[in-house]
Amino acid sequence: MQRRTLLASTTAALAAAPLARPHAQKPTTVRWWYHFDDPKASPDALVQAFEKANPDLKIQAESIPWGGGADYDTRLYTSIIAQNAPDAAMVKFNNLPRLMEMDALADLGKHIDGWAGKADISADLWRLHTAPDGKRYYIPLQYVVLYLYVRQDWLAQKGVKLPGTFDEFLTAGKAMTEGDRWGFGLRGGAGGHDHWCSFVLGGGAKMEKGGLVSPAALAANRWFIELYTKQKIIPPSAPNDGFQQIIANLKAGRTGMTIHHIGSANDMVAALGDGITAVPVPRGPQGQGWTSFGDGSNAVLAQSKVQEAAWRWVAWLSTAEANVAFNKLSGQVTVTTSGAKTWDVQPKRFMDATVGSLPIAAVLPQTAQTADFTRTVWPQTTQKALLGQISPDDMMGVFEKHYFG
Amino acid sequence: MKVSSRALPWLLLAPALAATVLLVLAPVAQTLWLSLHDVILFRPKSQPFVGFGNYVAVLNDPMFWESLGHSVVWVVVSVALQFGLGLATALLLNRRFAWRGVARALVIVPWALPSVIIGLVWTWMLDFNLGLLNQIGVRMGLLDAPVAWLARPDTAMAAVILAVVWQGFPFFAVTLLAGLQAIPREHYEAASIDGASTFASFVHVTLPGLAPVIATALLLRMIWVSNSLDLILVMTGGGPGTTTHTLPLYAFLKAWSGANYGYGSALAVVLTLLLLVVVIAYARRGMRDAPA
Repeated sequence: MQRRTLLASTTAALAAAPLARPHAQKPTTVRWWYHFDDPKASPDALVQAFEKANPDLKIQAESIPWGGGADYDTRLYTSIIAQNAPDAAMVKFNNLPRLMEMDALADLGKHIDGWAGKADISADLWRLHTAPDGKRYYIPLQYVVLYLYVRQDWLAQKGVKLPGTFDEFLTAGKAMTEGDRWGFGLRGGAGGHDHWCSFVLGGGAKMEKGGLVSPAALAANRWFIELYTKQKIIPPSAPNDGFQQIIANLKAGRTGMTIHHIGSANDMVAALGDGITAVPVPRGPQGQGWTSFGDGSNAVLAQSKVQEAAWRWVAWLSTAEANVAFNKLSGQVTVTTSGAKTWDVQPKRFMDATVGSLPIAAVLPQTAQTADFTRTVWPQTTQKALLGQISPDDMMGVFEKHYFG
Repeated sequence: MKVSSRALPWLLLAPALAATVLLVLAPVAQTLWLSLHDVILFRPKSQPFVGFGNYVAVLNDPMFWESLGHSVVWVVVSVALQFGLGLATALLLNRRFAWRGVARALVIVPWALPSVIIGLVWTWMLDFNLGLLNQIGVRMGLLDAPVAWLARPDTAMAAVILAVVWQGFPFFAVTLLAGLQAIPREHYEAASIDGASTFASFVHVTLPGLAPVIATALLLRMIWVSNSLDLILVMTGGGPGTTTHTLPLYAFLKAWSGANYGYGSALAVVLTLLLLVVVIAYARRGMRDAPA
């Protein structure tokens, strides 16, 4: 009997031995999807730092092609349907409604409330990161606010001040338009809805039933389209110009203004030095304004079997020093208050324009229509209006129908 | 183990047949299934059967007919130009001249490049502000001012066709060159003895000799160009407006960007049925040419 007991004890001890030795325990793997605008940027150093501090976790970071957002989103949706989704992924507000409809997201509310880093992220950002159902599926990771790049050297030569209103914007645009250079580089291709939002939603249109075809909305849109068709302060190539074109044209001295965010600031300064600056996008006739809040967040997927581990990773990425390091890679702005105090990644004037734009920063409605609007409906319809194939009022009618039926 | 002579061919064909079923027939069957359902990617719990509802919607969709019209222009014009340029290049490369080997190697470069790279290269060459073609055109006095080739409805289709012609003519050049080299020299000598001019030799010896190759190359290229959307996607995204919106691009945007896989699949099936005419012609041609 004693012999049998000894044998059983030895067997049990041998079976338990791997568990008793922490070094032999296999770390939990967290699959994380990410995207950086700069394909050369790699989060390897961040992953290594995290794994060193958390030896029980292994991060499998997977770079996913962006493709204007459509590629990334569709891959995420299909991975969810195929039950092969990552444990955590970078996400944006515009795909929140679809991901909610798929029940694809883990509610992070309890994690966030018990997290030490919560207080280091501003209440405004937490408000923006609360879903329409009141839950919190996203944790802030990075952000940008769109502002207006301006060739201040050109305006100084013309004795024109930096634009703060629509009228001043038009004056500046006309002053800078001459020969083979134009006042404003409009992004008429995919992604250009941000430009339209600044002038039309900032000019009186509202994202509510009837709000896109109200007299104020139609007037604002006519003014916007006429910048191209009548005022001629926009290059003829605008209907097909995308991000690469508007940036290249500004850097090459072909345009004097364009709308983008701080992510391109260092590139601009390298090309144009002190000649380039940034200001918040101009305000409309009634003093209102609208600029796009470009969010970047992390989410934990509901089908993940390691949600706790995934949360530890995404929470760490939004923590002071790690978040600053992350945003140096992404070219965007840290979401932490402590990190913002020492932020020196771009010249101060661009950070000032970013912060100065926050009061008018907003996002398009978090509904299923928005993704299709930004990718297909907006560029096709706006290009037709710019080319005179439909009227500006008909253009707004298409948008109203798309959103509100 | 002895295998019967009747079973052996099937045994040898089995891996290829299995791959075909798995990689071709299964996706086709799934596309057909999707096209009969209302499949929105982000609504996986609700995919109701709608019968031919998606097909009826396609036929009543003005965008479908507009895209179909653009597709016809895109295929007919670009394949015709590719063929013409490819034939001229093949005739040139079939003659003896210095560095002919280098020329034959270089001509294949556009064909070897990925479509996305070609799209980006041509996008920047045609760029209004910084493009090489506008710079050259203006400096040589061919253009009064730069032209926004990709942003104008009257030039955008021509611009993307230019790019696909540049990409596709080497296929014709190389294929037709191989065909030219297979024409017996004695045929040309006999024509010459009969007093045939160079043009007459081309019409009565070269073209008949190349006819099978031309037919096969044209059919293949028509199928490829009909299905291709990458160049247009990169260069214009279907714009300006819907000027370069072709049928495969429409199906892609509906399914991939719009997440509407039911409708997108119906568009793809309709495109496939239209292409079937060309595919059947190609298959019949292949069966006719196959040795008995």
